[in-house]
Amino acid sequence: MQSDAKKRILLVDDDLDLLEQNKILLESKGYKVVTADNTKDAWELFQSEKPDAAVLDLIMEEHDSGFILSYKIKKDEHGKNIPVFVITSATYITGFRFGASTKEEKEWIRCDEILNKPVVIDELVQKLENYLALNEV
Amino acid sequence: MENNHTPKILIVDDEKGLRLGTKRLLESEGYLVETAENGLEGVKSGTSTEFDLALIDLKMPDVDGIHVLREILKAHPNTVCLIATGFASYETAIESTKQGAFSYIPKPFTSEELLQKLNQAYYKRQLLLEGEKWKKEREERLLEITFEKTRLNTIINSITEGLLVVNKNGEAVLYNPSALKYLDLNSITIEEHIIDKLHPKIAELINKFLFAYKIERKSYSTQIEPATDKQLFIEATSSPVPNPDGTLAGVVVVLKDITGLKQIEMLKSQFVSMVSHELKAPIAAVTGYLHLFNDGTINLTDEQKKGYIKRSQLRLDGLLKMVNDLLDISRMETKTINREIVKLDVNEIIKNQLELFQLQINNNKLKVNFDAVENLPLINADRDEMARLFTNLISNAIKYNKQNGSINIKIESSERYLIVIIKDSGIGMKPEEKAKLFHEFFRAKNEKTKNISGTGLGLSIVKRIVDSYAGKIEVETEYGKGTSFKILLPIR
Repeated sequence: MQSDAKKRILLVDDDLDLLEQNKILLESKGYKVVTADNTKDAWELFQSEKPDAAVLDLIMEEHDSGFILSYKIKKDEHGKNIPVFVITSATYITGFRFGASTKEEKEWIRCDEILNKPVVIDELVQKLENYLALNEV
Repeated sequence: MENNHTPKILIVDDEKGLRLGTKRLLESEGYLVETAENGLEGVKSGTSTEFDLALIDLKMPDVDGIHVLREILKAHPNTVCLIATGFASYETAIESTKQGAFSYIPKPFTSEELLQKLNQAYYKRQLLLEGEKWKKEREERLLEITFEKTRLNTIINSITEGLLVVNKNGEAVLYNPSALKYLDLNSITIEEHIIDKLHPKIAELINKFLFAYKIERKSYSTQIEPATDKQLFIEATSSPVPNPDGTLAGVVVVLKDITGLKQIEMLKSQFVSMVSHELKAPIAAVTGYLHLFNDGTINLTDEQKKGYIKRSQLRLDGLLKMVNDLLDISRMETKTINREIVKLDVNEIIKNQLELFQLQINNNKLKVNFDAVENLPLINADRDEMARLFTNLISNAIKYNKQNGSINIKIESSERYLIVIIKDSGIGMKPEEKAKLFHEFFRAKNEKTKNISGTGLGLSIVKRIVDSYAGKIEVETEYGKGTSFKILLPIR
């Protein structure tokens, strides 16, 4: 892998404004960003682009669209090696627990990080860099 | 006689002179007197009518006074009988009193002697009657208590709340069928030690009183799910049952099905989380743009800046609309109580709404087909609510339509309903989208709806209004072809 090439990030959010904003922010930090506003497009984009990382909104068509997508990505031959973050502002949807505590949840929720929206860009970049650096090694 | 009741006396004597003489004497003293001239006649009179008193001669030719006495007492135990005898002796006295005579009077007797004896006898009669009254009352009370008890049991068994009473040893003393259901028990045996068979949280509620140092006049409550496989939530409340002296007799537990309440609670908190999530989204979007503007490291083109300001404006407009819709929903919940019901012509309402949307209709080059129907039955409804109902439906028919599309509005009436059909030639819905149509904040998300703004509350408001008028709403839709809403409002 060429270390000077721009890292490509798959950014998925059904809120077009947040998608645009985070795209600009990530681009300003030196990433190449590919975007999708629904899981179907996102999955196609993932397969064709093979990004270095994925940042997914949680609630899109369904309440757990982000988790479903990250599960699919993590099962993929390429995807299993890349960092996948889920971002959400739904911190207390009733009956929904974030963070995998049971074995079933750990099996199921495969993403590496769950971050709060609105995204703090420096925190996001910091975390992305950590994971990407690990992958370099 | 002091009593205002006239004492009724029967004189049984075969001696005519004595019989009539006594009769006269007693009548002059205020007695009601009847006479019998022999024993058999005395029995006949004394048994067929209840006398207060009877004065019976002991020795008569046909049957003796003792026989008459026995027969009278058999029929009327409270008739007080005096035996008059010329053979006054200790034996006859004992014998007559043994047979139930109140007393005896030796012949010949003076008027004073007789009246004194009769006075005593009449006093006795009154006591007997009083006693009889008490006895009757007591019996009635007992009957009443038994009846009361059965009635109480029937009531306890009929109430939907579960009831379980345990004594201070923790043994079951009373329960009803609902208690079995709510405690998830197949049976309870009276006097069995029940505590260990109960849900630990309910056992704890009871033990709080059983093991308390002193009796406390308060209640404890807890909420449990008795059986994990059933959708059942129970609220259990325990209270002490005190003895008259204030010591603890036992504990009563009332069990109440609160499944419905729990569901409402859950829906409510889900609704609140959804609302806050939906309200946060536009705020986050606008804040995000402001951050971009303020971030010195990011260079935005003028075109981008202009676009972002426009987007921010749209998001804020949407936010305002959402707040208004939410206020509508909350107002609607109180409105049902104080809505203004008037006779309304639906023709007119729809016409007014179409006028308000004329600009959008023209911009989208939509063709609207609507002809007012003559002699349309009026409906009883609140004008604002009807306006809101049709605004939402017409607005959807415009927003989700295609350029050069059409909107067909038809009004019909059946015997029971006024029917309005609003059909658009728009983008339609997929079956899975149709299923969620009336859910709060649900918006069909696909390529075609991407650029249509909305709060996701419009149809939820429509449904609430229609439901509150006991109406019906039906939807037919085909993805890519259009949607038709049929509203049925009762004509009353």
